Amino acid sequence: MKSAVTTVVISADLAGRFPTISDLESVKGSFDRASARLEAAEKLAAYIEKYTEDALNEVYKEGAIYDQANKDKCARDIHHYLRLINYCLVTGGTGPLDEWGIAGMREVIRAQLLPTAAYIEAFTYIRDKIQIPRDMGEQAATEFKALLDYLINALA
Amino acid sequence: MLDAFSRAVVSADSKGSTIGAAELSALRKYVSDANKRIDATLAITQNVSCIAADAVSGIVCENTGLTQPGGHCYPTRRMAACLRDGEIILRYISYALLAGDPSVLDDRCINGLKETYTALGVPIANAIRAIEIMKIATVAIMTETNTGRKMFEGINSGSGAQCKDIAAEAASYFDRVIDALS
Repeated sequence: MKSAVTTVVISADLAGRFPTISDLESVKGSFDRASARLEAAEKLAAYIEKYTEDALNEVYKEGAIYDQANKDKCARDIHHYLRLINYCLVTGGTGPLDEWGIAGMREVIRAQLLPTAAYIEAFTYIRDKIQIPRDMGEQAATEFKALLDYLINALA
Repeated sequence: MLDAFSRAVVSADSKGSTIGAAELSALRKYVSDANKRIDATLAITQNVSCIAADAVSGIVCENTGLTQPGGHCYPTRRMAACLRDGEIILRYISYALLAGDPSVLDDRCINGLKETYTALGVPIANAIRAIEIMKIATVAIMTETNTGRKMFEGINSGSGAQCKDIAAEAASYFDRVIDALS
């Protein structure tokens, strides 16, 4: 699982050397930024149901083009991706999204004929609706939005 | 391999739950201990050859037959292999300490170690004793309770007394290696 620390350790091990001062500095740097992303993870975990529901209502609001019958499945998927974003915020890397969300995603979407535009709309809605500082701090929101953008790009 | 963060992710994913306030408080402690952790890692990396050499000298002093013809540390080629292995174990322990998780030690060092030593005819009891000595030396250097000079210069000016918890964690990694060999 890729994170700031495992990346450093893996490259040190590949070279057979002990962690150097610069390795430690880079780990330290990631720790210094950790509080923002842990805050975002905490807020996301607390409001994940609300975010899912709000986004779902936006996508399936009256006059929407998507089939209402798929609403439950869409809710499940949005919740799933938000949970992976929660994990990414904790690890400080895109590992969980890459490994469990994005790898194979294209194939699944194509096979099931899923409307990716609906997901994109949902995550864009969540991204644009975050209020600072009501929902989370500015740094935390930046971390959260970066991951939402990463996912939106992957879906697009 | 995992670190403290990805360990939390893997265990949350197995339940399909998000990582909330309860799990995050443990991770916040890991983050707030980062400076001590980095200094404790430096305590190992700055003294590797000293710790390993000390441990190998220790087992030879306790068991002088080792360096006699027919002993397991005779000739120097085999003694050198012993020193090298001490350093390798210390290296993986320094990785585990930095990551706050023993998975890298388990996967890349401990897994198959006993079988390898048995196949090569390395005396397991002596190997365990050497690791014990390395554990004692590492903890003493980390907590600055070693006799004589201060052995490491941290980049965060943490004092040795503050590294007690981390030193206990490091000791648990040495014990892990010992348990695997026993």
